[in-house]
Amino acid sequence: MRCLLFVSCLLGITACSSAYQKMQKLNGDANCVEFFKPFFPRALYSASVNVVGKHLGGLLIIKAMPDSSIRMVFTNEVGFSFFDFGFKGDEFTVYHIIDQMDKKAVIKTLRKDFELILMQHIYAGSSYTLKNGSEYYRVFPHDGDYYYYVTDSACTKLIRMERGSRKKKVMEAITGDYTMGIPDTIGIKHNNFDFTIELKRIQDHAEQ
Amino acid sequence: MHKVIVTAILCLATMIAAAQYPGYTLLADDAGFLSRFAATSQKTNTIKSDFVQEKNLSLLADKIVSKGKFWFKKENMVRMEYTSPFQYLMIINGSDLYVKDNQVENKISAKSNKLFQQINRVIVECVQGKALQGSDFTTRVFEGSSSFLAELTPINKNMKSLFKSINLIINKKDDAVSKIEMYEPSGDYTIISFINRELNTTLSDALFTIR
Repeated sequence: MRCLLFVSCLLGITACSSAYQKMQKLNGDANCVEFFKPFFPRALYSASVNVVGKHLGGLLIIKAMPDSSIRMVFTNEVGFSFFDFGFKGDEFTVYHIIDQMDKKAVIKTLRKDFELILMQHIYAGSSYTLKNGSEYYRVFPHDGDYYYYVTDSACTKLIRMERGSRKKKVMEAITGDYTMGIPDTIGIKHNNFDFTIELKRIQDHAEQ
Repeated sequence: MHKVIVTAILCLATMIAAAQYPGYTLLADDAGFLSRFAATSQKTNTIKSDFVQEKNLSLLADKIVSKGKFWFKKENMVRMEYTSPFQYLMIINGSDLYVKDNQVENKISAKSNKLFQQINRVIVECVQGKALQGSDFTTRVFEGSSSFLAELTPINKNMKSLFKSINLIINKKDDAVSKIEMYEPSGDYTIISFINRELNTTLSDALFTIR
């Protein structure tokens, strides 16, 4: 609960929109963020999704597969699966999604949000760095979207992640309390509509 | 000639059905079982039990095991309290549903969330045995040495999108549902096993009060 409060507070503090165009462009190496790429051999999270005043709770399992893809399954506590997504480089596969969620906009939003967290696009050749005060934005353009990883000057700390256009932020995310490369908390907050996802890691049988 | 073909087909169907559930044989006439089960269900006013739930993610070759406590009181009150590895409380009282996870309490009415209601109604009806008498499923019953297996296959499109089939394992000893196996169209499945069951003990209505 304390971790989720931390996630909520941090997302609240950073809610003011970034004006990327006003930032100073640098020649610094954006690929330093590879160090922060999360590693999910297998992680189970308690998930809390809030969309326009509606709450949806459940469990999210993230697992690295032998074919180097990452699978993500969201179920409710009673065991019913809502979706099952696969990520592999630029490839994205919907293995299963319930009819009620099977909307192009929903899938696209979830895909891009989790691609930001999973750092799927940090190998883009056209990456660059922006400076805004003491924060350094490591920028990775991909398919018309811009994935921003905000670090300190020495790239030793990942402050937050953002996704948007070249000009405007669409959403931001933070990860925290890493254990063996796996974040214990993950928070996602959208700027243009009321949509948040909070994940808190659960230790279950497979990890004990 | 026709009789031979029909007999052969029937034998083949029986063999296929039997192969589907090792240790179980398809009951050609399940009327006796169904009426006895309905009578037992009628007499079951309360159930108190622990449960172990195993959610199997087939393509991930992984599973999520959770444990908790279960209470049922006639006609349609259910309390499921997950205690490990996460805290989650679900109360069904008539057409109202209350859920509470780590952070949020949610009262859901039948009208506001049909999906939740459908899934939870199925669980309640499976525990009660009502699912065997309802119009949502076609039923086949198989007999094993110590239990019956009732296979429920959804009829309508909506239910088919949620479940491929549901199996109820019913103990011969007390004709009570000891296990629910829910198979989803994706290939994932969930098994809820009820252990330490106590039937017809006194349960307070307060357990099922939605505040």
